[in-house]
Amino acid sequence: MRRSVSVAVFITVEILVIAALSTGRQNAALAAQQKTEAAEVKIDNFSFGPATLTVSVGTTVTWTNRDDIPHTVTSADDPKAFKSKVLDTDEKFSFTFTQPGTYPYFCSIHPKMTAKVVVQ
Amino acid sequence: MSEGFLGTSAPLAPDVVLLLEVAMGVALLVGTWLARTKRFRPHAWCQSTIVLLNLVVVAVAMTPSFRAQVLASIPVKLSKSYYALATVHAAFGSIAELAALYILLAAGTRLLPEQLRITRYKAWMRSVVVLWWLVLFLGVATYVRWYVPNFRR
Repeated sequence: MRRSVSVAVFITVEILVIAALSTGRQNAALAAQQKTEAAEVKIDNFSFGPATLTVSVGTTVTWTNRDDIPHTVTSADDPKAFKSKVLDTDEKFSFTFTQPGTYPYFCSIHPKMTAKVVVQ
Repeated sequence: MSEGFLGTSAPLAPDVVLLLEVAMGVALLVGTWLARTKRFRPHAWCQSTIVLLNLVVVAVAMTPSFRAQVLASIPVKLSKSYYALATVHAAFGSIAELAALYILLAAGTRLLPEQLRITRYKAWMRSVVVLWWLVLFLGVATYVRWYVPNFRR
């Protein structure tokens, strides 16, 4: 009888430990998924600033047009990884980088305006 | 996308269009001089070529650019100078081109019915030349506003 109780207690404890570990892993995975960083690029005086932005995978980059002329944010890759509409003054465009790599981009209205995002 | 060659922030197409339009504006004045010196046949060829070449430039370069960069923002954002300038240029440019085509049809062909033909050619032609040059100045101003950083503030 005593032995049966011991086995039952042991099994119960094991189940609780496994359940606790499993929940912890799930929470950690969920937290990792929800953890998104943010970065900003300012468009002003016919240039992107910073010209080279280094971010980690999952980061959302937001471009804000602070210039007094429209600009676009257009990927130089083929096919294009991202492409904004024409951004007026104070308008924003955001894109989340989910793959590592180097992403050159430019303004399609003023193609001399170039910059890149490095995703690590 | 190809960069321009005039040293501004413009792509290749606006640079080419700017030079073509200035050349056509000058050629239009040369054509006017031909008429004043009574060389009417070369005058007709010169002005007709300019009007038709301009029609091609408008269709191939200006209209797509206007649709991509300006059209979606009007009339809501016409208070912004760069949209207002481009829109006024497009409106007056359309009137000038249509008027020039009308003169071309009226003076150079028999396609128009009698009641639509014009009799006071000189007044019509001179008005269109003046309007054409006004549009040219507006076009240069639009180019400067959109592509030359030092002139925009």
